[in-house]
Formats: sequence, C-alpha cells, structure tokens
Amino acid sequence: MEVSVLAAVNVSILAMTVIFVVLTILIFTIQMLVKFIPYEEPAASQKVSTGSPSGQDDQVAVITATLAAHMGKRPDEFRIVNIQSR
Amino acid sequence: MEFSFGASASKIIHSTGFSDLAGGDLIMIAVACTLVYLAIWKKFEPLLLLPMGFGCLLANLPLSMMAATDSGGLLNFFYQGVKHEILPPIIFMGVGALTDFGPLLANPTTLLLGAAAQIGVYTTLIGAVYLGFNMQEAAAIGIIGGADGPTSIFIASKLAPHLLAPIAVAAYSYMSLVPLIQPPIMKLLTTEEERKIKMAQLKPISQTVKIVFPVVVTFVCCLLLPGVTPLLGMFMLGNLFRESGVTQRLHETTETHLINIMTIMLALSVGSSMTGDSFLRLETIKIIVLGLLAFGFATAGGLIFGKIMCKMSGGKVNPLIGSAGVSAVPMAARVSQKVGADADSSNFLLMHAMGPNVAGVIGSAVAAGIFVSLFGDMGGAADTHAALAPVIGNPEPGIQALATVVDAIKQ
Repeated sequence: MEVSVLAAVNVSILAMTVIFVVLTILIFTIQMLVKFIPYEEPAASQKVSTGSPSGQDDQVAVITATLAAHMGKRPDEFRIVNIQSR
Repeated sequence: MEFSFGASASKIIHSTGFSDLAGGDLIMIAVACTLVYLAIWKKFEPLLLLPMGFGCLLANLPLSMMAATDSGGLLNFFYQGVKHEILPPIIFMGVGALTDFGPLLANPTTLLLGAAAQIGVYTTLIGAVYLGFNMQEAAAIGIIGGADGPTSIFIASKLAPHLLAPIAVAAYSYMSLVPLIQPPIMKLLTTEEERKIKMAQLKPISQTVKIVFPVVVTFVCCLLLPGVTPLLGMFMLGNLFRESGVTQRLHETTETHLINIMTIMLALSVGSSMTGDSFLRLETIKIIVLGLLAFGFATAGGLIFGKIMCKMSGGKVNPLIGSAGVSAVPMAARVSQKVGADADSSNFLLMHAMGPNVAGVIGSAVAAGIFVSLFGDMGGAADTHAALAPVIGNPEPGIQALATVVDAIKQ
C-alpha cells in the first residue's frame, strides 16, 4: 500500500510538472501573439446627420410617422436626431 | 387456443415489473427521486441532474430494458456514445463555442492559476490509491478535482468504466455545490485586505489573436499530449466557430441545440448506468468523500498560487481569482466575484476571474491528457500496480524515479 502511494506521489509530481510546463509554453505563445498582433481600435462607425445629405429627410419623415403611429404620440412630441447605417 | 382466465391473469401478474422488484432497485429508485428533487426544487445543476435522475429511474425499473447494460435497449444505444467517448468531446465543442478567451488572453499569467488548481486532481489520486483503488481508478476519481463534468466522464469511461456512475454523480453534484464549498475555504486562506485588492482593467485583445489562439493551443497541446486531442480539439473547434465570424450558423447550433441534445443523451446514459450493482457499493461512498476533498484541495491550490502571484506582483493580483482555476465555468468565477464584492462592494473581479476559470478548463483537459498518456493504452487488463513495481523498489524521489515511472507504465 505504502509503495503504491509512493508511486502515486511520483505520478502526481510528474503530472503537475507537465501541466505547468505546457501552460507556461501557452503563456509565452500568447505573449508572442499579443506582441506581434497588437489590438487596433476599430474604425469609428459613420454617423449620418439627419439634415445634411439629400434623401435623409424623407427617411426621417417616414420613420417619425411610423414611430408616432406605433407609440400613439404626435410626430412633434419627439425628434429623431440621427440615423446610423449598418 | 384454450383460454384460461386464471392462467392468463397469473401470466400478466408475473410479467409486470413488480414481480422482479428487488431491494437494490428500490434504493436506486429512491436515489433517482432524490436527484430529480435536487434538480427541480433545489436547482442543483438541473440541466444534468434531472435527465440523469430520470435515466436512473428508468434503468432501475425491472424488465424495462433501459439500463446501460441492457443490450438492445434504448439507453444502451445512447450509452455507446459514452463508452466510445463520443458525447463528452461534442459537449466540449459546445462549451468552446460558449467560451470567451478574451480575459485569459489579456492576462495570460492566469493560466498558472488554472495549473495550480489541478493539485486537487493529484491529491485525490494519492488519496484514492491510499484507500485501495488501483492507479486507473484513482486517476478517474482524481479528475473530479478538475471540476469538469465531460472530462470526468471521458476519463472514467476510458480508465474505469465500472466507476462511471458514482464519478459522474460526484462531479456534477459538487459542481453545483461550488457556491457552498468554495467561500469558506476562500475566507480561510485570504485576509480581508487581500480580498479588497482591486485589479487593473483588462486590455483589449485583437480579434486576430482570438482566432489564432485556438489553432495554436490545438497544435501545441495535442502534439505534446495526444491523449487530450478529442477533448481539447473539439473545445478549440467550438471556440473557432465563435471567433472566426464566418460560421455563425455553426456557432449558434453548437452553443445551443447541439450541446443541449448531447447533454440530454449524456445525462440519460450516465443515469442509465446507475444500477444497484454498479452504485450500491462501498466504493461509491469513498468516491463521494474523495470528490469533496478534490474540490477543496483544488480551490486551496488556486488560492495559494493566487497569494504567491499577489506577493510577486506587489499586490496587483487579488488571490480570490485563484479559486476560479478549478474550472466549473462560470460558477467558480461568480463565486470569486461574490466573495470579493462581500469584502468591498465596489470590487469587480468577474472578468479577471474568467481568465483562470477558462484556464482551469484547459488545465483539467491537460491533466486528463496526461492520464490518458500514462494509463490509457493499458486498458483494463494490465495491473498498474504490477507495472509500477520497479518504482516500488526505488524509494528515491527525484527525476530518475519519475522517469522510471514513465518507463514502467510504457512497458
């Protein structure tokens, strides 16, 4: 029994060593990846002003009318300030 | 054909399950009802314990042909997925699809916490050998400390299929009890000041790194430990579905319907293996006790390594995130957050704890791979103790003794 326990202790030391080695390799791999492929801010999404481009006014009017009907309010009770294209 | 009312009635009575109902069946039906009760009313891992409990109920109804060992029965077919190690890797693919490696990639040193928490696996291995289990059985029991259900089932079905039922029940029961098991150990091993430590915000990670990472992990880990490939390979494939951004349908299917279907089949299969013959043994009680020790030691191992990292970083790491290294995603990370918030309500550790939490998944998969490498090829026929006999005669610890262990097992 004692001998089996000794064998189990040896297996445990070996296995823990292997786990630490494998995960340490992964740590260095991740550090290399992060170093060579740095994070870049995504390009800011283009925001469209409601008034500027031609054709937007019609869209705003349609959306305003639809929302007003849906919410049961008058169109002048709220204002759409921006339409963001996907 | 002559019809006799009495004879026919007698035949019907003797063909009912009641005529074959034994004491063991009744006890197992009570166990099944307890699991169903815990799942429904106590909300203990209901997604698993409910089908597992019902599978156990079906398996212990005499003449129902629903036990895992009933060749030709419905659940025997499901059980082939466990026996041939198909279901756990597919569930791992779903877990991979649900996992965000961002916190781990932002703070890769937390991988060491996932490694340290595996100490629970090996202290339990030693304890199991001490209690009389052979090395394969002890390995299957020890992996409960990895706090990872599919990994436990994978290793148990490979190394000790006769212990599958108690190991699965212990693993999932203790995973559901993580919020009760961990906090006392966390409070015992950390000071109030340590629990109040606030960690710096994690830096953002490039999407390209998130895509490359699963491929690199598969390459590195599966070459080093081929035995881990079914689990880790599927885990990383699921994560690649998530991060690649070009397989949205596969990602959605994997993280929802596929993992749910596989969970039903796996839990029913495990439940169907819980018959009186396989469950009502002294070994079951030993496994239940060892499983609790495994969770305790795993939590302590992560916390102690967290304290070491805290000292070495000059107090920048909160040791509480170490307990999340036991896997049990995401419950262990939530426990770290809760205990940290109890000490200081403005302390947010959840995202920091997710790093060691997913590191625990990788760590337990690596631990499983080591067991497969050491004991997997030997099957059930060889006696591990006999194979380790050369080591028995060599009491000297150290590298030479460890090398002898590997050689002995390979022979």
